[in-house]
Amino acid sequence: MLEIKNLHAELEDDSEVKILKGLSLKVNPGEVHAIMGPNGSGKSTLSYVLSGRDGYTVTDGSATLEGVDLLEMEAEERAAAGLFLAFQYPVEIPGVGNMTFLRTAVNAQRKARGQEELSAGEFLKVVRAKAKDLQIDADMLKRPVNVGFSGGEKKRNEILQMAMLEPKMCILDETDSGLDVDAMKLVADGVNALRDAGRSFLVITHYQRLLDHIVPDVVHILSEGRIIKTGGPELALEVERNGYADLMAEAQA
Amino acid sequence: MAVLDETQMREGVDRETVETVQSMAGTYKHGWETEIEMDFAPKGLNEDIVRLISEKNNEPEWLLEWRLDAYRRWLTMESPDWAMLNIPEIDYQEQYYYAKPKSMAEKPKSLDDVDPKLLETYAKLGIPLKEQMLLAGVEGAEEGRKVAVDAVFDSVSLGTTFKKELAAAGVIFCSISEAVQDHPELVKKYLGSVVPQNDNYFAALNSAVFSDGSFVYIPAGVKCPMELSTYFRINAENTGQFERTLIVAEKGSHVSYLEGCTAPKRDTNQLHAAVVEIVILEDAEVKYSTVQNWFPGDENGKGGIYNFVTKRADCREDRAKVMWTQVETGSAITWKYPSCILRGDDTQGEFYSIAIANNWQQADTGTKMVHLGKNSRSRIVSKGISAGHAQNTYRGLVSMHPKATSSRNYTQCDSLLIGDKCGAHTVPYIEVRNASSRVEHEATTSKVDDDQLFYCRSRGMDEEEAVALVVNGFCKEVLQELPMEFAMEAQALVAISLEGSVG
Amino acid sequence: MMPRAKLKAQKVEAAQALLADRTLPEGGAWITKARNAAQARVRDMGLPTKRDEYWRYTDPRRLTDAGVVAGALHDTKGEPLVFDQIDRIKLVFVDGVFDEQASDPLVLDGVEICQLSQAARTDLHWARDLYGSLDARAQSPVERPLASLNTAYATEGVLIRVTGKPQKPISLIYLRKSETADAMLHHVIRVEAGAEATVLENGPIATRFNQVMEVDIADGGTLHHIRAQGRDHERVGSAHLFARLGEGAHLKSFTLTANGALIRNDSIIWLDGAGGSAHVAGATVGDGAFHHDDTVFITHGAPRCESRQVFKKVLRGGAVGVFQGKILVDQIAQLTDGYQISQSLLLDENAQFLAKPELEIYADDVKCSHGSTSGEIDDNQLFYLRARGVPEDTAKTLLVLAFLAEALDEIADSAFADDLRTRLEAWFERRG
Repeated sequence: MLEIKNLHAELEDDSEVKILKGLSLKVNPGEVHAIMGPNGSGKSTLSYVLSGRDGYTVTDGSATLEGVDLLEMEAEERAAAGLFLAFQYPVEIPGVGNMTFLRTAVNAQRKARGQEELSAGEFLKVVRAKAKDLQIDADMLKRPVNVGFSGGEKKRNEILQMAMLEPKMCILDETDSGLDVDAMKLVADGVNALRDAGRSFLVITHYQRLLDHIVPDVVHILSEGRIIKTGGPELALEVERNGYADLMAEAQA
Repeated sequence: MAVLDETQMREGVDRETVETVQSMAGTYKHGWETEIEMDFAPKGLNEDIVRLISEKNNEPEWLLEWRLDAYRRWLTMESPDWAMLNIPEIDYQEQYYYAKPKSMAEKPKSLDDVDPKLLETYAKLGIPLKEQMLLAGVEGAEEGRKVAVDAVFDSVSLGTTFKKELAAAGVIFCSISEAVQDHPELVKKYLGSVVPQNDNYFAALNSAVFSDGSFVYIPAGVKCPMELSTYFRINAENTGQFERTLIVAEKGSHVSYLEGCTAPKRDTNQLHAAVVEIVILEDAEVKYSTVQNWFPGDENGKGGIYNFVTKRADCREDRAKVMWTQVETGSAITWKYPSCILRGDDTQGEFYSIAIANNWQQADTGTKMVHLGKNSRSRIVSKGISAGHAQNTYRGLVSMHPKATSSRNYTQCDSLLIGDKCGAHTVPYIEVRNASSRVEHEATTSKVDDDQLFYCRSRGMDEEEAVALVVNGFCKEVLQELPMEFAMEAQALVAISLEGSVG
Repeated sequence: MMPRAKLKAQKVEAAQALLADRTLPEGGAWITKARNAAQARVRDMGLPTKRDEYWRYTDPRRLTDAGVVAGALHDTKGEPLVFDQIDRIKLVFVDGVFDEQASDPLVLDGVEICQLSQAARTDLHWARDLYGSLDARAQSPVERPLASLNTAYATEGVLIRVTGKPQKPISLIYLRKSETADAMLHHVIRVEAGAEATVLENGPIATRFNQVMEVDIADGGTLHHIRAQGRDHERVGSAHLFARLGEGAHLKSFTLTANGALIRNDSIIWLDGAGGSAHVAGATVGDGAFHHDDTVFITHGAPRCESRQVFKKVLRGGAVGVFQGKILVDQIAQLTDGYQISQSLLLDENAQFLAKPELEIYADDVKCSHGSTSGEIDDNQLFYLRARGVPEDTAKTLLVLAFLAEALDEIADSAFADDLRTRLEAWFERRG
């Protein structure tokens, strides 16, 4: 599904700041991978580089989605190709209704893929059903995108978008940040409901706790722009117990 | 379906917008020209031309004198230079001041008599000239909303729909030339009473040469049974359009009036100097909405309409209320300040505006809120968007006279810049001459937010779609003040106007 | 309406009449050149009139009329002057003329100070390239004939060159002893790279004054400017502050104005180097026949600069407060952060506030905003204080001071701010 090889990236404005320094990983269809790492290890940069945000220069390496080069594509082309980023800090867009936003996005992607656009009626039916599962009420759908949403509401809204857009490859960037236990459970349930053989996940997180709810197949430890260790779910528990310091020292040894 | 439509209305951009945008394929959609034989007055401006216009309209002597007086005043005036506009010198002798389709030489008795080419033109413009026609985009409204339409083609009014039904309610809605014939006492009483002949250079010009326009009279206590609408179109080359609109709302009456404008694409500039006067008496309410989509010139700044318009509402008696809503996307140059004279006590004035300037367009637009009555209220919401090489200025006046005690004004004025070659300017004048009135003015200028664009694009929208969505969100407060049919058209226009502004 | 050409001709005629029987002061070659150029500018522009865009709210005639209307002197009742408790180097002007006896010796580490009248006689002076140059540059897009008039005819003033970080503020004290003095002062301040100084000004200057201060702050330099314009009612005057800021340079200018018949303060700030910041603030207290006008024009001519304008006016008894403020952002000035607020508190029905807060922006990656409000004391706040037992007068004073606080907060050194605040409190308490 997603294959990253030797990815190097630096800040566009300051080539002295090198963030990713040879990152490689491969996510197969249906798999859930977690990336853990201390602050500043390059976790969010990875999600931005993959989803095509301006401000970073890729100096080496590749990233492909189902064999197609992601890095050459515009952000919207990546989305249409099936990549989805659940933002750590979902953006507020005053004046634009949440529903309008969703429908515009869904139909833009359908169009890009050569599919019929959803009629307003169909769309409404689907969105209501999915919103209900995530305990998103009608009011939240009418309000402007993320404006005045609580932290938990923003994250649930991200998962609703994911559910509506039905991507193949989902990247969750610190989706657990700012959530209490109940909200995290709700979000995790939403994600788990979307797990299937054709869809993969890359869960970026600082803490292990999210992984209690979204159980990964593979766990990677990211440090200074590189994967320093890969293992099963037990690796996350090890980090939880001992922190990152030991692993980092081990990697440097 | 009713629920769905409700949602659509509340939301902002909807599917129709996107579809409309797609169907319009990136160019000015009203840029065609209708080939119709025209009856022109000779080029140029002098007293004889003024007399000729008056004669063609079969006007009474007093109106001819009124026009001549305006013309003589105009001769002594100078074109205003205070706006942030670079206006090329206009040769007023190179314009035609009167153009009329030949087939209209005899006034049509009914729409059947109208040149089919004209009807075709209006069909192309999407204007329903036939009775019982629904305006597009009003799905789910079972009965459909009726809108009475008056259409002005170059200088001449072509026919007004729904006359009978309006007459039954006592509403007069006709061209101003008809009103001069049929209701001279009303025209004489109110014409020039809000915008005097010498109000400004362009108003003086209009007073001298206006050839047609709309007249609306709503009798006391009447709530106009439908929205009234005028579509203006400049078709003939080198023709100035000088329409004059006069709306009188008697005590306790209500009316909503819509105005739309288009013109063919040409590489010469065309002049449009209109005057709109609104008289609002006790407890009456007028809502005036404009979607101005005159040809803005091409992407190199060639051609386009010079739009110099004076619009003013006089809330003459207590509790009178006026609301201006405008979406200005067209014209090469826009000089326009729809104003409210809040003369009575407890009067209200509102101004909601979206002004978009792209390519080489220049817009200097805003409003005046002149508070004369006690406890009068006004509200201004202005959204300016600049792209390409355009210059966009908000200019406004809020004036609290010493006697306008306990009055309030709130002004919010936001500008958005797309690209680093354009300009966004804010020039408010705030004059507070009594202490008990409260005035608040806020303005911001910023660029289109990169994070918002990226968020949209990461959900699959392309850049133009993302910009259109974000800009429509920025304009939301104003769009929601428009009647629904206009809101849809306006959203589509916002998107179209910004095409080519990114990337 | 008068045709534009005729209006211009009248302005030029008025200037000719005013200059007809005046001769330029004697001086060295450099200052004579600057004065000649300034005089020519006045002749070209003519005198200001109410028809000029930036004089629409203030009638300039009293500033340019041939004669001076005598004005009674203000009785200070033995009250000490502002900044009296602060250790500083004092330069005293009486009715606009330097008083060497009353002044401290012009010696201070890190600063060179010289009288304009002395420097003008020599041909070699650092101020040669500066005198009149900021005035000349600032004549477009807005004409400022009063400043050029000053550049041409002023003989009094000081030239201050800051080369280090002097320990004490430089204090210009303006005493008024004549009822008819008509004064012109022209100061030039150059802050060298990385240097930093504080300049204080206080006092009414003269019955009529025309003051110009040209400030050039080199890269990384900082100037604090705090001005208290005296409390005399019967005087008219115009003050121009011109400043150019180099890369990473900072300017903070604060003005307190209390009364006067007509006071117009122009601040024309040019952010000429990347990363500079300019804060211009003013607090005005006006009572009676007082017309006060703050006109600010800040040009962002380089990227990443910050500017703030904070103006507060408390007015009553027929006082008129004017604020005209502009933020102009050039096309190259990306990442500009511009802020402006102008507010007035009208204490009775006769007060007026006239404002024109402008933005003119040609760069897209900017954050600019302005706000302007006018109103009376908030009844709810007043009631709240009274319900807690605060007498009405005290409550009002408290609210007025709270209203002015945002402007006073713009003064970096709290010692000066406190001095002014205490002064304001005393005035309000006495006047009620």
